[in-house]
Parts: sequence; structure tokens; C-alpha cells
Amino acid sequence: MRGSILRVAMGLVLALGSLFALPLMPSTLAAQIACDPAAPAAASGPLHATPAAIAETPFPEDGGTLTVFAAASLTDAFNEFATGLETTSPNLDIVIQTAGSQTLVTQLVEGATADVLATANTSTMDTATESGVVTGDPVTFTGNRLVLLTPQDNPAGIESINDLASDDILLVIANEWVPAGNYARVAFCAWGASGSAPEGFVDMVAANIASEEEDVRNVLAKVQLGEADAGVVYASDATASALAGSPLNVIEFPDAVPASASYPIAAIEGGQTELANAFIAAILSPEGQAILASYGFER
Amino acid sequence: MARGGNNPFTWALIAISVIGLVLLTLPTAALLVRAFEARDVLDQAQSRQTLRDALALSLTTSLVSLIFVVLVGTPIAYVLARGQFPGVRVLDALVDLPIILPPAVAGIALLSAFGRRGLLGESFDRLGINIAFSTTAVVMAQTFVSAPFFIRTARAGFSRIDRSLEDAGAVLGAGPARVFWRITLPLSRASLVAGAVLAWARALGEFGATIMFAGNREGVTQTMPLAIYERFGAGDLQTAVVLSAILLASSIAFLVAVRQLGDTGTTR
Repeated sequence: MRGSILRVAMGLVLALGSLFALPLMPSTLAAQIACDPAAPAAASGPLHATPAAIAETPFPEDGGTLTVFAAASLTDAFNEFATGLETTSPNLDIVIQTAGSQTLVTQLVEGATADVLATANTSTMDTATESGVVTGDPVTFTGNRLVLLTPQDNPAGIESINDLASDDILLVIANEWVPAGNYARVAFCAWGASGSAPEGFVDMVAANIASEEEDVRNVLAKVQLGEADAGVVYASDATASALAGSPLNVIEFPDAVPASASYPIAAIEGGQTELANAFIAAILSPEGQAILASYGFER
Repeated sequence: MARGGNNPFTWALIAISVIGLVLLTLPTAALLVRAFEARDVLDQAQSRQTLRDALALSLTTSLVSLIFVVLVGTPIAYVLARGQFPGVRVLDALVDLPIILPPAVAGIALLSAFGRRGLLGESFDRLGINIAFSTTAVVMAQTFVSAPFFIRTARAGFSRIDRSLEDAGAVLGAGPARVFWRITLPLSRASLVAGAVLAWARALGEFGATIMFAGNREGVTQTMPLAIYERFGAGDLQTAVVLSAILLASSIAFLVAVRQLGDTGTTR
């Protein structure tokens, strides 16, 4: 009787003790940002000329269902764009599927079927081209710019990129495999090497990374919720419409930092090429570009 | 089958079972085959590091949350099984709630309560306690989603006990605590173990609420399911497959161990 109560008490103490000890456990692998001195600038590939096949492609009369795999940052702009196209071509049904660019390419390599792929950087698109999942040359259709985002009450008092190296900041960025995460790391490395940053800037920022998110929209959500003190997202994620009633502070990166992203688009091998090319032509048209611009994208 | 003979019903039953079993076991088998082919990725230091960190974190957090679930869940289950106060059925339904919550809803619910802007989180924040992005958040998410599995099973176990045995103990002079420890608990042992196994499995597989509430950081909040998802997203399917197979193998090992434990318990 006394023995069992003792056992339970010991169990309780153990359980509570271990719970509180958990956050104290040293991370076996401190987050690191590996800077590549050879390539300080963000990978912004050559802007391919629009191929003739795409230049003047109307949507086929009989329409059909078009599946577009798009980078997470394109979610809102592509949804509005697709709704507009569906209104002008009633037989057309456009399905927009969004995720981190790298996830989309993985899914395509693993046999997912879609007609159009739009990624947030050229290296992910290069992977897709090399794996043979896209057909024809990718076209750069828009661009974006990295910004730093803090909650409106800015609990950590972050005013500039240098403040990211302060102690005890919860910084959330996208995973290094996601374009937005890769761009962010390249930007930190460039700033660290610029001479204007404090000593050990990159390592201090790396130590402040609280979470590495699967796509840029999840970074945005963590800042909106106030869970993160700061996050690195695209300017298009920080527009008034994207924030929908929960204003956040936008801090621009210094000019010395490469913070621009370019977005290539391509038709997918084995997909409906005619529909795909019509979609690509439409996004390159002034109307398509205007919608992207209204969401904060810039070429 | 002797009595059923060769009638169409028997054959349909067999056919459906065979097809169903193939469909249910094929994905796991395919995973193991693919993982075997990809096993060389563990030669890479980065993959080994990810595996070590994630597996250690998964096992620790799921066991800690299991301890909590059992310690808190057992009294709740007992009260639900024996309680005769108004509202006990409503309480019963409330406890089950996390089972039907989609993981995303569970994540938002946890954020609403314990996030920095949450109901309790705001007070925690003022006290300087920050749960967000910590291992504690992982344990909380796992405890929240797995507790109902234990409580349900334990409650059913308590309800099945022949009350006259407990009454006999009481008549012979044992206090309520002694009756509970010496009669109720041993008699419901099988249910408690089954519930604990279910809850542990749910905690080990927990993904959605964790990634929303605790975030994803290697060594701190990146459990096995999160590591697998991250490797998949990174286009590193080889590592994702191998991690999946290892998670599967450790779960099976644990289940077998518990089964052994349960058997020795009942035959004693």
C-alpha cells in the first residue's frame, strides 16, 4: 500500500522533472547557416525570352481542367487569376495546388500529374528540368522581394536586420530547401559579409532560428499569430490583402543585400501542353501581370 | 469453413478479405522494400544526425506524454466510469473531443490556449515562460491528442469490473484507496495497457498539431514525423523512406514488448 503510493509519487516527480528538463536539453545540432562565398548573390537565372509557342496561345474553345502546381507565395494571386480566367472561359476549370516549390517538384518526380509548374526560384525549376518533369524552356514570369516581418506590437523590438542578431529572439524562416528559406539565408550571409553587420552576425542569427517552416505561408502564419518575433517572407506576403486585417510591421532589407526572387513557369511533360501554354501566355499578358503586381509581385 | 461449404457467401467473404488485406499491407511492404533499397543514405553524416535527433526526440516526448496521460487519465477514467453526478455523460463526450478534431484544428486550439496570444499563453508570456517552439510544446500537443485514447479504453475497463469484488474488499475492511490499488487496478490491467499502447502510438505519430503549435527545428521540436515530412519536401525521398521504415520498426518493437508484458501480467 505505502509502496505503491511511493511508486506513484516517484513517477509523478520523474514525469514533471523530465518535462521541465526537456527544454533545457541542449540541442545536439545548433541551427547553422552555411554561407557559400562563391555564390553570394541569390540565384536569379536568366530571363528566358517567351517562346513562340507560348506568345499567342488562346485557351481552347472546349476548355478542360487545368492543374497548376504553384509555389506557396503565389497562392492568393493565382487564385484570383484563375477565377478571372474561369469567368472569361466558362468551359475552363483551373485547379491551383500550392506548396513549397521543392515539395511540388518532389511530387512531380514521384508521378503526380499536373499541367503547369510555377516555382519561386530558378534552381528548383532547374531540378524539375533535369528530372524531365517539365517540357520546353521555363519562362521567368514575375519576381518578388524578401522582407522582414514582425508582429504589430513587435515584442522583441526589432527595427533593422542587425537586431536579428540580438539574444533571445524567436526568428522563423522557411526551410533551406524552400526558395524563400534559401533566399533568406543568402541574404543573411551577404549582410554578414558586407561589413555593416555586427561580428558573428550569421551565427547569431542562426542561433535565433526557432523554427524552419515547410513553406513561406507558414512563416507568415507564425508571425501573424505572434508566436514568432520576426519572420522572413516575400513582399507579396506582406501586402495589405495578404495580411487581411492583421497588420504587421514590414522591414525592408538594406540595398546591399540580394533580396530579389525570380519566378519561372513551365509546362509539365505529359500534361495538356496546349492548355498549359495558354495559361502561361495569360500570366505573361498585361492582365496577368497586373494581377501579380496588385499582390506585390514585381519583375 | 466446414459448415459453410462451397457457397458463394463464403467465397465472397474470402475474396474481399484477401483483397482488403493486400490493400492494407501493400503500402507498408512497399515502404520497407524501398527503404531497404535506399539504406545507403545512412552512410551520410547529415542523414544519421537527423535520424538520431528525431528518433531520440520522438521516443522521449512520446514516453513523457504517455506518463502524463496515464497519471492524469487514470483518475479521469475512473471518475467517468463510476461517477454518478449530473453531466457525467457530457464530460465523457468532452474528453473524447480531441479524437475527432482534425490535426489542424487541434493545432489551432492549442495555439488559442497556450500560444503567446492565447488564453493562458499571454499570462505565461508575462511570467517569462515561452512554450512556443519548445520541446514542452511537442509534449503538450502529443498529450492533448493522445489522452482520449487512453481515457476511453481505461474507462471501458473500469466499467467492466464486477463491482461485487470491490464491495467484498470494502466489506473486509479495505479503504477506498486500498480497494482501488489492490482490486480495481489489477482487474483492469489489460484495458489500461491497451489504452496506454493506443495513446503512445497516437503520440508517436502526432504531426499536424506539432508542426503548427511547436514548429520545426532539428533537435528541439523536429520529431520523426516532422523529419520525414521535411526530407520529403526537400526532395530527399531516400532519407524520408528510410526514416519512415525505422519509425515503423521501432513502433513494432515497442508493441511486441508491451504484448509480452501484458501476457506475463495476465498469466501470473
